[in-house]
Amino acid sequence: MKQNPFRHLILGIYGLIILLPLSLVLLTTFKTTPELYSNPIGLPAGWNIENYKQLLVNEPIFGYIKNSVIVTVFSTFFILWFSSMIAYAIIQLPQKLGWIVYGFFVCGMIVPTQVNMIPVFVLMNKLGLVNTLTGVIIVSISFLLPIGVFIITGFMKTLPKELFEAARMDGASEWKIYSKIALRLSIPSMATVGIFSFVIVWNDLLFPLLLLKSKEVKTLPIALLDFQGEFLTNYPMLFSAVVLSSIPLLIAYVFLQKHFISGMTSGALK
Amino acid sequence: MSLKTNTSIQEEEKRTPSFSFPLFSFKNISKNRHLWLFFLPGFVIYTVFFALPTLSALFLSTTDWNGLSSQFSFVGFKNFKELLTNDAIFTQSLTNNLKFTIGVLIFQTLLSLGFALLLYRNSAWNTFYRSLFFVPTIISSVSIAFTWNFMYDPNIGGVNLFLSKIGLEHWTQSWIGNGHIAIYSLAFVQFWAHTGQMLIIFVAGIQAIPSELYEAASIDGATRWQKFKRITWPLLAPATTMVVAYTTIQSFKAFDLIIAMTNGGPSNSTEILSTLLYHEAFINFRFGYASAISVVFMIVIALLTFLQFRVLRLTKM
Amino acid sequence: MKKLLILLAMLTVIVAGCGKNSSTSGDSSDSSKKVTINFTHWRGEDTKAFDSIIEQFEKKNPNIHVEMTVFPSDSYQSQIQGSLLSGEGIDVFASFPGSQFETIRKANGFAKLDNQNLLSRFDEKLIQAGKADNTQYALPYQLVYNIPVYNKGIFEKLNLDVPKDWNSFLKTSETLKKNGYTPILFSGDVSPSQFINPMIMNNEPTNNALHEVETGKRKLTDEWFIKTLSQIKELNDKGYFQKDALGTKKESAAALFAQEKGAMLAQGSYMMATVKQQNPKIDQGLLAPITVDQDKAKYEGVHTTTFLLGVAEKSKHKEAAKKFLTFLADPKISSEYANATGQLLTVKDVKYDSPELKESAKWKDKKTVFQPRFTILNERVSKAVETSVQDVLSGMSAKKAAEKAQGEVERVAKN
Repeated sequence: MKQNPFRHLILGIYGLIILLPLSLVLLTTFKTTPELYSNPIGLPAGWNIENYKQLLVNEPIFGYIKNSVIVTVFSTFFILWFSSMIAYAIIQLPQKLGWIVYGFFVCGMIVPTQVNMIPVFVLMNKLGLVNTLTGVIIVSISFLLPIGVFIITGFMKTLPKELFEAARMDGASEWKIYSKIALRLSIPSMATVGIFSFVIVWNDLLFPLLLLKSKEVKTLPIALLDFQGEFLTNYPMLFSAVVLSSIPLLIAYVFLQKHFISGMTSGALK
Repeated sequence: MSLKTNTSIQEEEKRTPSFSFPLFSFKNISKNRHLWLFFLPGFVIYTVFFALPTLSALFLSTTDWNGLSSQFSFVGFKNFKELLTNDAIFTQSLTNNLKFTIGVLIFQTLLSLGFALLLYRNSAWNTFYRSLFFVPTIISSVSIAFTWNFMYDPNIGGVNLFLSKIGLEHWTQSWIGNGHIAIYSLAFVQFWAHTGQMLIIFVAGIQAIPSELYEAASIDGATRWQKFKRITWPLLAPATTMVVAYTTIQSFKAFDLIIAMTNGGPSNSTEILSTLLYHEAFINFRFGYASAISVVFMIVIALLTFLQFRVLRLTKM
Repeated sequence: MKKLLILLAMLTVIVAGCGKNSSTSGDSSDSSKKVTINFTHWRGEDTKAFDSIIEQFEKKNPNIHVEMTVFPSDSYQSQIQGSLLSGEGIDVFASFPGSQFETIRKANGFAKLDNQNLLSRFDEKLIQAGKADNTQYALPYQLVYNIPVYNKGIFEKLNLDVPKDWNSFLKTSETLKKNGYTPILFSGDVSPSQFINPMIMNNEPTNNALHEVETGKRKLTDEWFIKTLSQIKELNDKGYFQKDALGTKKESAAALFAQEKGAMLAQGSYMMATVKQQNPKIDQGLLAPITVDQDKAKYEGVHTTTFLLGVAEKSKHKEAAKKFLTFLADPKISSEYANATGQLLTVKDVKYDSPELKESAKWKDKKTVFQPRFTILNERVSKAVETSVQDVLSGMSAKKAAEKAQGEVERVAKN
């Protein structure tokens, strides 16, 4: 590791650029709204935990967290499973057909979500899936499949086909080859897609807001909106909710990162 | 999936039902009759809940539907004609979008690559930095937007206050109130929020490069730059492609951030295609017209992405 | 294969299990079953007040459960559109006057409100914004004066009277500036569309001028509009707005006003309660810039009736929805809402408790015109007007900004 101090300098500066605005968010949660405007970047006068208390006691925040967890975990699981299956199938197809199928899925990435909002709602309504967590899960899977297929196919393409051939010679079924070989070797890309999907679905506002109408099924980001008004937003409260909802994600990231890294290095050594 | 021994694999094979309808007639694909099952679940969900709704919405680009009434009429290519020949705001949005995307692309890609080169080893410090840089990705866009609304406030905001404190008073700006620089101020927030995410992809890419290659190069007396140019850069090709494509698409689509921070203003200087699309559909009640914008939008992104692949392919030489 | 089938089975169980969690059961004609209605609006700052009102309503009507949904105002339309189209999940909902109301009404989104018991609870003059073809489609609930809020204390300290014509307005601002106060706190996000109203009201007192621009009878390049823009520009050029007004957000401007750093806030009566919260000692009033000589001034201010409450035509529980609406219009309940949120209402016999509300209620007796900007029914024209204000604040000449806006109006007319 050469040029130690220089390296730390660059990283440190960028680290501060990231940290300062975020600490502002954290500090704000301990202020009251008037205090926020009279003392925007200073330390809070008292360590006022009223906001957190209110959220944990009054709002059905645990219910929201539960719903967010259900939606995010199931969505991520199916996204990973389905896109890896599709990627596996794509790499087996002959060139032209493979490209067509790949293109079909990956094109989804360029679609602006606002466009299919209304048709999706109408469809969900017809299927009786409005106001259900299942509906949100299905929609989340559908708009994240493109990126999943994109990343995982890109990775699986680099796997040596001989491995599959050899396994086939041994009489293994496609499912076996898929699950034991392809998946195992694709862990780095799966982890990437997993993290992306997890964060995107956890923070998604558009479809939950569109589809979920009653308190029992609402997810966490929707709860944040209760604090956003037409002319006044209760920022300390909003940020407290943000902090609370980011904690599970941070924990998940810290753990996933460890597995992610070990998965990556083991994949690299093969 | 539990592990099975070899014999049970063969037994399971016998129990697997065979699907008798041939799907492809290509000889090269063995066991192709199972492949379609792999497609099925994802294909169904994607087609029914994404592709078809999108197509139906796009088809609306040939109508004058306002989004609410039960009637509308076909207008052929009228919307496209208006869009391309008579809409100053559309032209402005397209330009803004390009400025924004290119700005984000350059900084996000270079920064994430640069940091990846510094942080790819799995030391405690590196893990710390990587996690720190990743945090903005976890925070929802609502909070990022507010945080920066605040930071950019001309009178009580962090950026101007900080600049004044270190004696750079003359550098203070109306970051999002000045139509000439607003779009760049927003571009900064965009790559601030997402560089950490791309960093991960590059780190994964670098870690996947076998260290023997570097050792061999060291023995041959290669400099750091040569190692980068001959080993790292070419082998990072898939990662680079992914980062560039994803960054482009993500920034082209950037919506939450802009709506929450400037809503397209002042004077449409931060209106980009996705926000324009939204305003036309839900504020101006011109859903048909908005669909026409989506069509153009997608064509532009597709073109850009295609161009990038070409350029990247060339630099690999 | 077997594993796959097992997983598929699990999926089916999950689908069934995570199924419908809400109780949209109930049928409007059968009053003995429990009915759930949705109350949809955009005012997050009112959730607490509404929660309490809903609780009282549910006590009185044990068969009706009210589920409140708040969407932020800038994504409000996109969120209710799907529901309006399908009729699912929307019963009582709020809308903005002007183009949103018009478009929903034309698409038959509103159920007709003809129950005299309900209508008579409102001040007839103030519910016009929800009327069309002599039928009431929605009831405006809130009454707002879109004129600047001013700090009475500062004015008193400097011995300033409320200016009654343009020259004294300029003089007053100059005095404020000399004494270290920002004369007018202007926020780039909402002030353009608020402030333009009192500026137009006397420059073109035929309260339909902007609508006539839409229909082509008038132009934005007419003298009255250019005059309006140049007067706004004059205020900015003379330094009567704070530095970088366009980059200032509504909350920051309000905060600066609450901290008494500025004397006037270019927003509206709706902000008074918020400011009071931040500074309980501040004494507020409303004033409108008079852009002409005193004897030529026809209007003293601008009012808007907004937060139009309506019942969705496709709602499956119209009777329950109307019941809730009637409850909201009850004088006692309305007073509770008004005082909790600091808003003036269009309902009759409301008792206002706070000094701010009492102060703004005085304006009911003054000569005010309905907000000119909301007479525009096409949102793109409205946006062009708003943009022209932003343009002059960025330095464009009034004439050029007006021409640019008129160009946009003509483009809209063609399509």
